[in-house]
Amino acid sequence: MAVVLIRMRLALLRHALRGDRASSLVLGTVIGLILAVGTVAVAVFWPPLLPAALAVWLMGWIFGPIFTGGGEALRPEYFTMIPAAPRRMATALLAGAFASPAVMITSVALTSMAVYGWRFGLLATLVALVAAVITLITMVLVSRVTVAIFGLLVRSRAAAVLAAFVTGTVLALSGNGWALPVAAATAEDLSWAGALVRLLPSGWGIAAIESSPPAALGILAASALVVVLLVAVWAVLLTRRVTSAARGGVPARRRRPRPFPMVRGVRAVAAKELRTWSRDLIRVHLLSFAFFYAVVFTLLPVAIGWWGMVPFVGLIAVLMGAGVSANLYATDGTALWLTLMTPGAERADVRGRQLAWLLAVGPATALLSVAGAAASGETWAWPWVAGLFPAVLGGAAGLVVLVAVTAPVPATDPHRRGGDPLSSGADEGGETGLVWLMLIAVPVTALPAAAAVLIEPWAGVPVGVATGVLCVWGFGRIAARRLASGGTELLALLKYGSAAGRTVREEEAAAAAPDLPLGHKIAVIVCYSLAWLPLFPQGIVPMFFKLFGVEDRVWFLALYLPDAWQWPTITLMISIGLLMYGYAILFPMRYRAPETEQA
Amino acid sequence: MTTHEAPALRATGLRKVFGDRAAVEQVDLSVPAGSLYGLVGPNGAGKTTTLAMAVGLLRPDAGHAEIFGVDVWKDTVRAKSLIGVLPDGHAMPERLTGREVLTYLGLLRGMAPEVVVERTEELLQVLELDTAEGTLVIEYSTGMRKKIGLAVALLHAPRLLVLDEPFEAIDPVSAMTIRTILRRFVEGGGSVVISSHVMALVEGICDHVGVISGGRVVAEGRLDEVRRSRSLEEAFVELVGARAGGTEGLSWLSS
Repeated sequence: MAVVLIRMRLALLRHALRGDRASSLVLGTVIGLILAVGTVAVAVFWPPLLPAALAVWLMGWIFGPIFTGGGEALRPEYFTMIPAAPRRMATALLAGAFASPAVMITSVALTSMAVYGWRFGLLATLVALVAAVITLITMVLVSRVTVAIFGLLVRSRAAAVLAAFVTGTVLALSGNGWALPVAAATAEDLSWAGALVRLLPSGWGIAAIESSPPAALGILAASALVVVLLVAVWAVLLTRRVTSAARGGVPARRRRPRPFPMVRGVRAVAAKELRTWSRDLIRVHLLSFAFFYAVVFTLLPVAIGWWGMVPFVGLIAVLMGAGVSANLYATDGTALWLTLMTPGAERADVRGRQLAWLLAVGPATALLSVAGAAASGETWAWPWVAGLFPAVLGGAAGLVVLVAVTAPVPATDPHRRGGDPLSSGADEGGETGLVWLMLIAVPVTALPAAAAVLIEPWAGVPVGVATGVLCVWGFGRIAARRLASGGTELLALLKYGSAAGRTVREEEAAAAAPDLPLGHKIAVIVCYSLAWLPLFPQGIVPMFFKLFGVEDRVWFLALYLPDAWQWPTITLMISIGLLMYGYAILFPMRYRAPETEQA
Repeated sequence: MTTHEAPALRATGLRKVFGDRAAVEQVDLSVPAGSLYGLVGPNGAGKTTTLAMAVGLLRPDAGHAEIFGVDVWKDTVRAKSLIGVLPDGHAMPERLTGREVLTYLGLLRGMAPEVVVERTEELLQVLELDTAEGTLVIEYSTGMRKKIGLAVALLHAPRLLVLDEPFEAIDPVSAMTIRTILRRFVEGGGSVVISSHVMALVEGICDHVGVISGGRVVAEGRLDEVRRSRSLEEAFVELVGARAGGTEGLSWLSS
């Protein structure tokens, strides 16, 4: 059976290589291989850092699938009716999971262990080879078990919030995580870190290589036992998953709900939407994610003693909340037909969604802002927060519906979603693009308020309130008009996807516009992954340090330069960061434009 | 102008192309007012696409659709106030209970609150959805989804009902209930269009039929005119020009 599943996985891979995703697949493999070779280089040139590098691979295996929607090419649900014992099925699925580029890449990376072992002699090299195989199996298994636990756990609101804490923290680390090593570099004793990376499953092999032969054998045997245990656990989780019915991520609760309020139009839609916000685990997860992200992101620089970001925690939560809500229409699937079949309901639908979004996000983020500003003790920040908050909140409530109507990423209908309660089935890349779009577009709406604060601190409040109200009203009006005039086309897009909804002429236009060339694709990925560096730690953070006279120079280039060069450097860094993000986001969008434009 | 002489639904030259495949070649059909009209056809014939274009849910590449003489694509709001629709397989406001869905949609249509409450109660009772008060629509079975969809279509007492596969996945008892509701609706002056590929069912309740095949209407009229002396099923197989398979191969199935 294992052989059959491996063949099936390879067949899927072959089709993927011929399909739309071929170039991303090739590109991903190339980047992965570069990283793998880099890991081997670490083993050659900086051996003490190898356990940490291997820990990064383990983290990739654990968190990668959570962010990319399960990463299961062979879904356990396909095989529920095959008469085989759970453990046999789990082993076979595991074998199938090994036929993937990610495993190939990781095995290249793990040859670094043999390189490491070579320093300790021939016997240690042998130990390293065995350990490398066990580590590979363990990584794949840990990844599968994590996905399985995640999928099973996230069936209540509390679990969705907990999952959001994990994802929010990880993503915040990728933006502001630099503060931790910087803080650690100034700390005296780092031996605990070395011990920690050896305690992780990725470091057991290293520990075995470094130990005496009997101890090494013991470690290898123990890790082999862990593999067996993980298979057993996974088998149990698989059986649970395919036999328990939790469709579409509905939190468990069961009572007759409060009666629906007897209101019409906008308020009726808002009542419906508020119920959806609290009853859809995906939405619960996304909003809590925005909150946790904001909290962790702003607290990380406190590690180096800088509280300057904390007052803006509520603002960042609004931005993220807007980013994750921008696909509002598509995540409802084809339910739009009811709005279209109700005469004249389009305006109420847009306004009601705005109202509900403001109610779901506004009060909590306002509280967060006040708490952040108070806790930070940064008195200068109060006028900024008070002026920018209404501007950003209003701008977000306007742009959310506008983007949701004009640039939706089609998702699977809620009642047809699969075993992962947190996946809407929408294209992950497209959804991430929407998040970035909002992160850039929403702050622009707050520029007038920012200018007002610079001129006269408390003048920001009336300006912020005014632009906020204007955005809610104006963008909502455009969205409602677009929905009224192009609702049918929007429904067709959500029902059939962008390809099927196209007419023949658009089909030709799309065919004439090829996939992004490889060079640009690489550049886009590089810009995506590195733009945070000039923008945040080298640009915005030193800017605030200078503005508010913080003495610490940390590792901010600008602050080491002569005074005259500091501002130009900061400006340059921020511009580079913004340009990198702008290019990475806008270029692919322009490229794809012929597919989605014109109806 | 809406007149009682105008057909409940008239489609002329409807056409829809997806990519390089024409889902609907050219459909002309006319549903007389006061009739119970069955649209039949094999899988993939274009029934769903035709109905979606006829009610204003999918913009046709060519052709017109009129509801009681009102152009669906020109006077959209007026046309939509005349019809109740049950599309096949579309999503609903999934995170509401059945009662909440009906209340919400009634209020959104601007119906008076006491009317909404009364009709919701009756519809839930008649369709036997009142036992699942705490259940969200997303947790409904396929049959329950059909029933809540039908309730949504009936809620505002439309003059024309357009139901795509209303009997699919419905148990026999509920099917009987729905049939009775549809007959009463027609007796009360309403018109109904249903699509189905179950001939016996269409024969049992419809007085008019349209046969659609390969994206075209190949026969249309009163039930007796279309089937003549045969059963509808025989007439259908003949009209569609298909050969019933199943007699060859598969010998290993007999054990």
